Amino acid sequence: MNRLLLIPTATVALTLIATGNFFFSPQAAAQATSSPKQTSRVHITKGPALESAHGDWAIFTWTSNNPGGSDEHFGVVHYGTDPKNLSQTAKSHIRLNPAHSYTVFRVRVDGLTPKTTYYYKVDSANASGASDKVPSPLKTFMTQ
Amino acid sequence: MRNRRLIALLIACVAVAASLLISTQLSSAKNEAAGKGNGKHDPDTPPPIYNPYPPGILPSDLDSEIARVIREVDNVEAEALAQLRALPPPTLTGQPPILAHTGQRANVLLGKVLNFDKNMSPFATRAFAFCHMPYVGFSGPIPSVNLTMVAYPGSVRFRAGKRTAQRYTYAPEFPVLNHNDTQAAFFGGNFWDSRATGYLLGSPDAHQAQGPPVDTQEHALPDTACIAFRLESASYKSFFETIWGDELDIKFPHDTEEICETPGGASVFGTDTMPIKLSPSDRARANDVYDHWAQSLDQYEASPDVSAYSSKFDAFLANAATLTADEMAGYKLFRGKANCNSCHLDGRSTAPTPPPPYGELPNSEDTGAEASTRPTFTCFGSSNLGLPLNPRDAIFYQNKPDSFGFTANPFGFGFRDLGLGTFLRSGPGSWPNPNDTWTPFAPTSDGQMQTSTARNVAMTPPQCPTTEAPGPYFQKEFFHNGYIKSLKQLVHFYNTRDVYPFDVTSGHCPSGTIEKVNCWPRPEVKNNEDMTIGKLGLSETEENQIVAFLQTLTDGFTTPYPDINKFTGVCARGGSAATQGNEVLIPTPPLPPCASAICDVAPLPTMPIP
Repeated sequence: MNRLLLIPTATVALTLIATGNFFFSPQAAAQATSSPKQTSRVHITKGPALESAHGDWAIFTWTSNNPGGSDEHFGVVHYGTDPKNLSQTAKSHIRLNPAHSYTVFRVRVDGLTPKTTYYYKVDSANASGASDKVPSPLKTFMTQ
Repeated sequence: MRNRRLIALLIACVAVAASLLISTQLSSAKNEAAGKGNGKHDPDTPPPIYNPYPPGILPSDLDSEIARVIREVDNVEAEALAQLRALPPPTLTGQPPILAHTGQRANVLLGKVLNFDKNMSPFATRAFAFCHMPYVGFSGPIPSVNLTMVAYPGSVRFRAGKRTAQRYTYAPEFPVLNHNDTQAAFFGGNFWDSRATGYLLGSPDAHQAQGPPVDTQEHALPDTACIAFRLESASYKSFFETIWGDELDIKFPHDTEEICETPGGASVFGTDTMPIKLSPSDRARANDVYDHWAQSLDQYEASPDVSAYSSKFDAFLANAATLTADEMAGYKLFRGKANCNSCHLDGRSTAPTPPPPYGELPNSEDTGAEASTRPTFTCFGSSNLGLPLNPRDAIFYQNKPDSFGFTANPFGFGFRDLGLGTFLRSGPGSWPNPNDTWTPFAPTSDGQMQTSTARNVAMTPPQCPTTEAPGPYFQKEFFHNGYIKSLKQLVHFYNTRDVYPFDVTSGHCPSGTIEKVNCWPRPEVKNNEDMTIGKLGLSETEENQIVAFLQTLTDGFTTPYPDINKFTGVCARGGSAATQGNEVLIPTPPLPPCASAICDVAPLPTMPIP
């Protein structure tokens, strides 16, 4: 600031322009997010199913109508060895394409025990963690 | 009052003593480095080569390629200076005062001159353009470096960074880094880890420009004031003063040249980031110069000289060009089945419904509304794509001190690149995080790197018209760690990462498999792995069509791209894009655990990073 007192008015103006938000691009900021309206009812159209299993980890996948809400979204798998107590949860990040009618969710689950039968249900959640309240069948799989 | 004078006198004495001490130590360190004993620096005597690398890590043509790029840089610099001098001078007029008529162009050309000036480095060998030449969209210009060591050699041969040289093009479009609470994600910033937030200048791109000059593995100036010092003797000094109103007459101490010729990180500096001892008012002036210098660079990068919006796709949006059948098919896949535009936004409001097996309908009509006239092909966000650790990355080998006593990576192969997560923790190799409220988001940001614009990903010099083998092609490197060597591999990785996963590190794919074809080694960081990609169900033909579409995003279709013809090197030929670069794969050594200074820093990662 001391410098500003020592220099001509023109430079003051230029300095202020340069150090303000002159270069901030409103268009650029607008592209950063685009949140379509949250869908009132999210339903699974395909799956859920075990996509692949690899030792102590596996990937689950399903397709639902586009849940809307935040583009930053999560697939969620609730799982456990007791079908009445799905005590564990895995989440994987995806980015919704607001223009697509359907959304493919894929969730990576780590830390599984070999040769064990697991039960699971799926859900999805928006960026804040709020559930999309996806009705999911209870499914089972056995690790290798 | 008397006590204050005494205190002021005492402070002044301490400052002088510290300056003398540093100066003495500098001479000692530089003499040792240069093998001299007369206490004066001989600029013709380069410091000893720093080579902690095992045989085969540095490319065999590195010296000649460095010399080649320096010649090209000098060539562009001479032309840029001529352009600047030929420009009619602007007129300062109006209220607020404006450099009327030619002020904007003068600033752009000044930025270009600054960008190609190799004097802005300790040994006057590294211009900013050295790692960012126009003919590759202002990314890495040395094919053999792109093929092998990933990061570019800096002023001190052969210190190097840890990541690929990002393209300048469209970097000025990124907004100031912000955490969007609704999306629970970060958007904006510059650099792979978004550490150039733009929090003071309002421009991440300008903030980014302030990094390389004082990056220990790039230009390695030890003090930001070295820029003002070097500008005082620049041939274009008067243009800088005219455009910015700065008076380049700072009273620099007598040892400034010696300090600026000593690379940053030298042990003689200790933790002193401002070894040039300036008065507070002169330090403020030097800071102003540094800001203005960066802002001119930003304006060059924002100009059509760099970010031209002149691709075939731009012409297509303007109904001035027609995409080929493969390009159009690739475009539909890009925003349909392959879902690329969920992050690399193409400016369309809607897209076709994905076909089976993921959707229920066949490819439908594009019912999109008007396209943006200048889509940026990025969401400005970050994600962890799950790339394998690249054992060729030069950073892993720089675990011994160089002749200046500097060690880039004391962790060796214990280094893990957590990207945005490390920045939010103000961790090693990044910058301090200027916003404490962001720190809690580090665990959900580990492994995330900036989503680059897809524009100019395929740009190459005219004589090497593609990035893809068999060519003739220009060898580029892709993603933050250069693991991917062709666009074909890039698309195949998105398509099949989770189809061919193997719990191995690079160089150890099982016999009967081919790395990058039907074997993808495990991620360097699996935390927060993005699952939008990994199994897209694309056929071989569809992968190739997406590559064809990506090639329509190269500027220079509607108007010639400035300086694209400056490449004087050699194109590569032969081989296949699918296995391009596999001939230089090396086995990853057994990996020690992630260094605690990276992975055991609060807030801790969501799950341990091995």
